Amino acid sequence: MANSTVIGRTSFIRGRVTGDGDLEIAGRVEGDVAVSGEVLVDTSGLVAANISGSRIVVRGAVKGDLVAEEALVIESSARVVGDLRAPRIAIAQGGLVRGHVQTGNAGPARPRAAAAPARATVSETKARPVAAPAPAPTRTVTTVKAPPPPPAKTVAAPVKTNQHKPAPPASRQGPPPPVVPVLKKGTKAVQKKAR
Amino acid sequence: MASTVIGAGITIEGEVTTDEDVVVQGTVRGRLVAKDAVSVESGGAVEADITGGPVAVAGTVTGNINSSDRVDLQNGAKVIGNVKATRITIADGAQFKGNVDMDV
Amino acid sequence: MARTRTGGGGEAVIGRSTRVRGRVSGDGDLRLEGTVEGDISLTGELTITDGAKATSNVEAQTVTVGGELEGDVRANGLVRIESGGRVRGDIQGELVAIDDGAEFNGRLLAEFELPEELGSSNGGRRR
Repeated sequence: MANSTVIGRTSFIRGRVTGDGDLEIAGRVEGDVAVSGEVLVDTSGLVAANISGSRIVVRGAVKGDLVAEEALVIESSARVVGDLRAPRIAIAQGGLVRGHVQTGNAGPARPRAAAAPARATVSETKARPVAAPAPAPTRTVTTVKAPPPPPAKTVAAPVKTNQHKPAPPASRQGPPPPVVPVLKKGTKAVQKKAR
Repeated sequence: MASTVIGAGITIEGEVTTDEDVVVQGTVRGRLVAKDAVSVESGGAVEADITGGPVAVAGTVTGNINSSDRVDLQNGAKVIGNVKATRITIADGAQFKGNVDMDV
Repeated sequence: MARTRTGGGGEAVIGRSTRVRGRVSGDGDLRLEGTVEGDISLTGELTITDGAKATSNVEAQTVTVGGELEGDVRANGLVRIESGGRVRGDIQGELVAIDDGAEFNGRLLAEFELPEELGSSNGGRRR
């Protein structure tokens, strides 16, 4: 596939890897990785870089923060030191992680219109002080149902998801999302980096 | 041996070092050092010095090419830089500006 | 100490309509279906079922969370957050599994070394 990049087992990249497409890392990368597609760090992969992508699967070793727009999968052979942030995060037994992990709205990426409200709901509930879990989601859902159209419209602009949350329930959500460059689909290899 | 493929939408800014073949369909800016074959495909752009085994270019290279083997500039290639190789071919339609050193 | 009733098989159960305020500790397993506010310390397995809620620092052999847990977790064995489970707090230990669909906001504090090429990383990251 023209949009697939493979960094072979004996390859070493020191610098920034950015752009559109999927990325498979079986070798070594030191620097920064930010692509629009799926990133796979294979069992032989050694990455000293922050990684951002739509979906990130880790089977090897990573020292850096992982931010995925959709899902983050840490498999049983993975070893990760860094912060993890994605709407969905799965860590298989055997996978070793040391760092801050946060499920729910992923960093600065614009949420997928359909999925985002549901996840915003869930984060909302978490942020609230001790309260009965069962009724909370229902209540929050109704509030959140209002804003879904705005997130969809703002898909074009890179906005922090914080701004999409309905004001009332959200007090604290944990640390602010890291500002990591994430590319829109269709972006040519030119992007703004707001680090 | 497996290949390292830098896909069409990807840009690497920095150094790429490898023992394998490298196929560049995207952009590499910085340095490219391979022990084996390097192929810069049509649409690929390398703004860097390339060191490698045999080098085949159908895309754009702005930088010096240092090959331990042959260098082939194919139709559509655009190379601005010096080329050092044991053998060289410049196909009809290839554009080249630079010196050629064949260690004669 | 909290009052519990023993379910079949010697497992202690805190029922759905039960709310405990205070420290819970003991030998054996505990199945939480209700609410606990206070630390939990067991030699056995803790299961927080879907719909249950604990605001507790937890120490146990294993911990399975299908409900809600707010507090830190330390276990000898596996800590698992099931899909639908929600945990906020730090988890100590090398045996951690987070299922797809689980929610977690906190730190994982596993102790392990990364391969040499990635540099020493023991004791946590530095930014």
